[in-house]
Formats: sequence, C-alpha cells, structure tokens
Amino acid sequence: MSSNKDKYFRKLYLQNRIVKYIITFAGFSSIVSIAAILLFLLLESSPLIKGAKIEEIFSFSLPDPDKKPLLTGTDPYMRVYYIMSKDGVIKFYYASDQSLMRSDTLSNFSEEKILCVSRGSLMKDVFAAGTDRGRLITFRIRFKNDFIGQEPVVNINLKVLDIYQVDPGQQQQVNHIEELIFRENDDLYRFYAWKNHHGGFNLRIYDPDEEENYLHDIKKILPADFNVSAFTLDFEGSKLIAGAKDGRLTWYDISGLKNIELIQHWEAYRTEISALGFLIGGQGLITGSAEGSVNLWIPVRIKGQEFEFQKINSFESHSKAIKLIIPSPRDRNFLSIGSDGEIHLNYSTTGRTQLKFSPTEEIVSMAAFSPKSNAIIAADSKNRFGFYNLDNPHPEITTKTLFGKTWYEGYDQPEFVWQSTGGSSEFEPKLSMIPLIFGTLKGTLYAMFFSVPIALLGAIFLSQFGTMKMKQIIKPTIEIMAAIPSVIIGFLAGLYFSPLFEKFLMEIMLFMILIPVFFYITIVLWRFIPAGHKTGLKTGFELLLALVPVILSLAAAFSFADLAERVFFAGNFQQWLFSVIGVTYETRNSLVVGFALGFAVIPIIFTVAEDALSNVPESLVSASLALGASKWQTVRRIVVPAAAGGIFAAIMLGLGRAIGETMIVLMATGNTPILDINPFNGFRAMSACIAVEIPEAPVGGTLYRVLFLTALLLFAFTFVLNTISSIIGDKLRKKYARF
Amino acid sequence: MEIIPVTEKNSLEQDNRSVKRNEVVRTENLDFFYNPESHALKNINLSIPGKKVTAFIGPSGCGKSTLLRCFNRMNDLLPGSYLKGRVLIDNKDIYANGIRLEELRKKVGMVFQKSNPFPMSIWENVAFGPRVNGESDKHTIEEVVKSALEQADLWKETKDRLNESALDLSGGQQQRLCIARTLANKPEIILMDEPASALDPISTGKIEETIIELKKNYTIIIVTHNMQQAARISDFTAFMMLGEMIEFNDTKTLFTNPNENLTEEYITGRFG
Repeated sequence: MSSNKDKYFRKLYLQNRIVKYIITFAGFSSIVSIAAILLFLLLESSPLIKGAKIEEIFSFSLPDPDKKPLLTGTDPYMRVYYIMSKDGVIKFYYASDQSLMRSDTLSNFSEEKILCVSRGSLMKDVFAAGTDRGRLITFRIRFKNDFIGQEPVVNINLKVLDIYQVDPGQQQQVNHIEELIFRENDDLYRFYAWKNHHGGFNLRIYDPDEEENYLHDIKKILPADFNVSAFTLDFEGSKLIAGAKDGRLTWYDISGLKNIELIQHWEAYRTEISALGFLIGGQGLITGSAEGSVNLWIPVRIKGQEFEFQKINSFESHSKAIKLIIPSPRDRNFLSIGSDGEIHLNYSTTGRTQLKFSPTEEIVSMAAFSPKSNAIIAADSKNRFGFYNLDNPHPEITTKTLFGKTWYEGYDQPEFVWQSTGGSSEFEPKLSMIPLIFGTLKGTLYAMFFSVPIALLGAIFLSQFGTMKMKQIIKPTIEIMAAIPSVIIGFLAGLYFSPLFEKFLMEIMLFMILIPVFFYITIVLWRFIPAGHKTGLKTGFELLLALVPVILSLAAAFSFADLAERVFFAGNFQQWLFSVIGVTYETRNSLVVGFALGFAVIPIIFTVAEDALSNVPESLVSASLALGASKWQTVRRIVVPAAAGGIFAAIMLGLGRAIGETMIVLMATGNTPILDINPFNGFRAMSACIAVEIPEAPVGGTLYRVLFLTALLLFAFTFVLNTISSIIGDKLRKKYARF
Repeated sequence: MEIIPVTEKNSLEQDNRSVKRNEVVRTENLDFFYNPESHALKNINLSIPGKKVTAFIGPSGCGKSTLLRCFNRMNDLLPGSYLKGRVLIDNKDIYANGIRLEELRKKVGMVFQKSNPFPMSIWENVAFGPRVNGESDKHTIEEVVKSALEQADLWKETKDRLNESALDLSGGQQQRLCIARTLANKPEIILMDEPASALDPISTGKIEETIIELKKNYTIIIVTHNMQQAARISDFTAFMMLGEMIEFNDTKTLFTNPNENLTEEYITGRFG
C-alpha cells in the first residue's frame, strides 16, 4: 500500500519536473531567439560606426632621385601601378612584386622636361602634361583585363591624344608651363588652364565637334590686383575657380566656350589660398589655405535667384599650409595634404576628418586614389613611394547624417533627406532616418485617429450595453477581421479604395463632418420622446436608432457634395488644395492608409479592450448601479477606469501593430519619403522602406547596413512600446487584482 | 427583464396588518422567474414596516436574496428574467412605467455580501453616490461624506486617511465603508445581502451595532444565513423556503413560537 503511494508520488514528481523543464525550455528559447534577432541586427548595422583604417602594403625608394615622380596611379584591380617622372617616362610595375612591367616615353624631345601633370577626369585615365617647351601633351592610359589560360593579365594602352604648342606670345620666348589643370568632360570637350613662368594665366578650350580651340587670357580678365595662388576647374568644364594670395576667390562660368562670365568674386580667407579642388559631381569645391584650414563650398541659390558659393563645412585644420586637394573617384571623400606631409582623409558632406596619417617624415609631393577608392598611393619629396590599403566602407554615415539636418549639394539649406539611389555614378546617397521615422509616425497617427475611437467605443458598447446575442455575433466577426492578410487590405486600399476615395472625396469629407451633427440632433430629439414610450424597448434597439443619423448624413453628403465643392472650393477641391494651400493631392494618401491601417488595427484594440472591459468585476458595476448611478455613469466612472490597464495595453498593442505594419503602408501609399504632416499626400514608413529597398541594396553596402539600422530602430520602437504597455498594464492590473 | 402585470385577485386579502405597522414596502402576488424554467419566487405577499430591521432567513437557494434584489430592481440586470405581480414602495409600484431606476436606487440603497469598494480613495468612494446623483457643491459633499462615515462608525478610523485607497482597509472596515457609501445617498431603505457573512466575529459585531444604530433613521431589510444574527438585530423576520414565504412575523414570536411546523424545524436545526 505504502509503496503504491510512493510510486504515485514519484510519478507526480517526475511529471512536474518534466513539464517544468519543457516550459522553461520554451520560455528560454523564445528569449534567446529575440536576443539573437537583436544581436543580428546590431551586428549587421554596427559597421556603420566603424572608422576608416589605412594600412601600408609596400613602400620603396625610387632608384633615380633626380627623376621626380609627377604622376602615379593604378588599374581598377590594383594589379599594376604606374609612375611618371619628369623626363616623360611612364613606368608600369606589377603590384604583386614591384617588378617593372614596361616603360613608355611621352615626349619625343629627349631634352624636354615635364613640369606638371593633371588628371582630366575621375572616371577615365586621361591626363595632360605641361612641358618646359610650352607644349600641352594630352594622353590616355587604358587598362584591359584579359586572361591567358587561367592567368589574369593586364594589357596597357598608352596613347598620346593631342600635342599643343602654346603660343609664345609677343615676348617670343618659350613658355614653361608651370601649373596645369586639365579636364575632359563626358562630351569630350577639353579644358586646359595653366600658368607659365612669366606669370601668365591662360585657358584653352578644345571643342571636338568643331575641332576648334578657344583661347582666353585669364590674366586680363581677372581684377588687376588679383594675384593668383591656386586655381581649378570642375570636371564638367563649366566652372573656373581662382584663388588669390590675399584670400579672395573668383568664379567664372566657362561653359559658354567663347565668352567667360564672372559669377562671383568673394573673400574666402584672410590668408593665401594655397590649394583648390573640385569633388566628384562638380558641385563641391574644397579650399585649402596657407594657414592649414580646409573648407567645403557649394553653389547655393541665394533668394531663389543667383547661385553663389557658400561655406558649408570646415574640416580639421592642418598645422601647415595645404598643398594638395585630391578628390576620390568614387565618393565625396578627398585627401587634403599639408606641406608638412600630413594627409587627412575627409568626407565632404559630413565635414568629418576620418583619418590622419603621415606616410613618411618627408613632404608628400604627390598622391592618388585607386579607381575604386580602396587604396592610396603617395610619394614624398625624397622619392619614397608607398602603396596603402584604405578600408573606409561607410564614410557618409555619421549620427548627424542619420538623424540631423545635412546640407547636400544641390540643396539650398540643410535638410532631412532620404534618397538612397540615383541615376548617375556621381549621385550621393542621402540616408536620413528622420523622413522614415516621420513616415512611420504619420501613418501610425492617422491609423490611430481612425481606429482608436471606433475600436474603443465599439468595445465599450458591446461589453457594457450589448446583449449576449450581439456579443456572439460581433466579437467573432471582428476577430476574423484580424485574420485578413494585410497584403489583401493593402491591395484593396491601394488599388480599389484609393481611386474610389479620390472620386468621392468631397462626399466622404462631408459625411465625416455631418455624422456627429446628425447624431447630436437625433439624441436631442430622442430626449423629447416621453419616457413612457421608451421603457418597453429592447436592448439593441439603439443600434437601429443609430442607423438613422448614419443614413441621413450619408444621404445629405451625397446630395450636397457638389454644392459644397462649388461654394467652398471653387468647384474643384484638388485644384483648390494645390493653388490655395499648396498641397498636391496624391491618390494614395495618408488618409487612405489611415483607413486601411486602421482597419488592420481595429480588431486588436477592440478584442483586447473588450476583454478588459468585460473583466471588470460585476460587483463594482452592481455597487455603482445600486448607488443610483446610471449605466453610462457606471461605465464612465467605474468600468472604464477599472479597465484602464487593459485599454491602455490594447492601444499600445494596436500602436505596435501599426508601427510594424509593412504591406498596407507599402501598397497604399506612394512611398514618398517627405516630411509633411498633410493628410492628402503620402509618406514612407520604415517597414515599407526596408521592404522596398533591401532587394536593391548590395550586401554589406552602406544602404544595406542603414536598412538594418532602420530595422533595429523599428525593433526598438515596438520593443519599448510593448514593454511600456506591459509595465503599465501590470501596475494597473495589480491595482484591481484584489477583486 | 420583463414585467408582467397581474390582475389584483387576492392582493388586499392577505394584507391586513399594513396600516398599523407603518408599511414601507409591500409586495403583491410577486412571482419571479430567472427564466421560464426557473421559478424563483412564488406568490410573495409581504408588508415591511418602516424604521425597523426586517430579516429574511431560510436555507440556501430559498430566494431570499432574489426577493431583496426585487426591491431595488437589481434583478433587472439578469437577461431573460421576468417578474409578475407588484412591488410597492411608499405605495408606488416600482415596476410601473416611467419609474426612474436611478431615483429608485438612490432611495433604496444596498449593501452587498462581499464588500465591494471602488478602487478609489475612501473619500471618493463615499462621495460617489452624491456625485452621480448630481451633487456638485464640494462643501455639501464634504459634510455628507463625514456624516455618512460617522453613521457607519468609520469616521474615527479613517478621518486621517481619507485619501488613501479604500482597498487598503481591512475587510470589516471595507464593509462599513460600503454601508457609509450607501448612507451618503440618504436612502430611506437599506437592503443588506448577508453583509457580515464574509467577516470575522469582531467585525460582524461592529456591523451589527451599526445596523441597530441605523434603524432609528432607516428601514433596513437584511438577508442572513445566521439565525442568531437575525434574532439579535431584527424586529421582524421572514422565513422562506423554495421560493415561498412560509412565515412572516415579529422576530420574537417567530423564533420562540412559530406558527408553521417548517419554521420550527428550520430554526431548531432539523434541516437547512
């Protein structure tokens, strides 16, 4: 007998243990999986905050110290690099073992010395060299990647495109071309600006269609006291910028080819402008001063009229004068090189100096980016030559560009912009989180405006005034609403409801205005009916009664919509909206999303709130009624406060659903990432943005990681909301738990 | 809930003592059905005097609470239930058309078996009745709250903690708070549905003292399980069984010399 009992208890104990382990395991694994998601999101987005890193691959001293290197570069795959020296010899080396591959000579005069070389484009390897015989030699290097069997080989094609003898002028002396800026734009127009050793400053524009040269003596155009210390051209060949010893800058428009027009003449520094450079895109101008300051200027429309260069960003100063500005061929990065040999890697839009390094103790005489911007080649004054790997995956991302206003090229002021992809390779992605957060909040707000009153009032009515039969029909029906896939709601809203909404816009707006009016009138009239006629009515009758104002206002809305549109909105509401308020009506606007998203949120809020309201202890209701409170007083003063925790939790759950909802906002809005609270235009929500853009985002790229950051934010949003709702819900539940 | 009026066939016949007893509540041929199958009260004819304590006793399920709830129409809340016959309070049929439930329930207060203070402060609990009945003058409410708490013998214990949650009071205090809450409405009749059944003897004693004190000003109808309690505090006692009124008499007579055999059997503990 006793052993039987023992057995029984042992079995019971074992069962308890097993169930306990299963439950613990289930709970623990759900926590682990949430944590794993969080960790994954963190891991994917955290490289955004990683800084730039530079690492030397190799360095060596060039054998002939007299042959100063003037130009260096590499092919896109960094298999070959080249060095051009003063005697016009370009030597190509294998990057793998630094062995010489081939050697070419540019000039056919053995005595001729190359004095300066300029890169003509960020995309193509075209260059122009200026010689001591007054010649401008334009040449091109082409790298062709090929295979011999399995081995990759690089074929190099060096071609001299044009040799131009500069007119010696009246002095009949040979010009030494001392400084040269060369550009070849996409239409193959060539622009040469140079200074000779007599102090002359000239511009030559070559028109390939007319095979014509246009020559300009800039020295004569410039103000008499303008002592040119630096100059540059943009890569389009439309802007000539010259800087003076006294810190002034001038901007000439040279796109007219034949005539040169002064656009702006301004004081940039109190000290000499020692270096100038344009960035990719042809908008951003970098200035470097003799005191070591580096600034970004972009053309900004002043008062909607003329463009003027304005100082947008200041970068970390160098301790010595700026010697060189080298733009990256890939992005808005650039190198500023001080005359003490320190190199700064800056990103123009963020204003951030990402990296500072001094490759040698000597002055850096020359530097270049690799075509993919993933390496830097630099040579110093003692012919020490170095090749450096650059790891700089996300230079455009800072907390400020993500969450603050950023001044982008082409904008008149700092703004929050999300524009992840553009048409050209010069496009700069603009990845501000603010329009997305705003979009999410806007969609949520409109959805809540629509759903909270309906769901809560519905829940109050059904739980407090509804009959058993009504409950049996209404509650499951609304719960089925929650089971409708959101893609169907989004589809219907986007393709069916929004055109309908546009068609009957006036009617719908009028209806929404009229319905409270008619309800009020009905209630007032109802009170005039003597009490004796009302007592016999069954519960549920009020539903039928409520139909009266609904039908009346619907009828009124449809019959007076045209009239209202004519009287108040000059016959066409959408036109009125555009001309008077300045808002473009979008078919898929926030109101449509509000309705559609609200439709998805209503069942959640309704079900949870209804449960909470129904669970208010009957004893409280009885006590209140027994004290002579009316049914409505009881609801308002006792039931709703007692269910506040549950109602709050219901709203929070609805909010969480609305924030995280993807398909509805994706399909029912235009997905325009704008910052505008107006209900008649759209928005782009975080969730929809992730869904739209993740297929386009290269894995590991900036956009990819920013989208993961968006997901992380979304996760945080819903996590915080749910935590708040359960904490407050718990507190309120504890308060009423003693019943 | 539906009310089905009946023809007055023998309503006055039974009611012979009403005038001399200062009658406040009278029922005439009262039948109550929770649903057509459940006939809870059967032809109850009863006359309850004013400013006295009347106790309803009887075994569980005999209908004594149901009868009590007919007096303030709390049974109206039960879907599907209906009633035949008449209930008159101050000679007015409370089930007639045009009766305002809020007014009736203000006049006929109720204390429930389980204390059910609202999850608010003590003060707000007591002020609830006057407030929902349209009293907005703060000073008046203050006075009403104080006097109600004094009458319920709770003022001394709570005057310094009126703003604390009512849920922090002990069980007995909570029940007295519920009495005070009812008194704040200045009712004429107070219905008590086993008000002390969930309380310890000391709290029960206090409640009983309160009831005896209240009888000076109010008509009290109390449902109780506890025959000693009925004997201690009531002036009149009704004994009910299976929905029928077996005997209604003054308490002393009913407990010492009952007319009916069933009553005697019940009070001597032979069943129940």
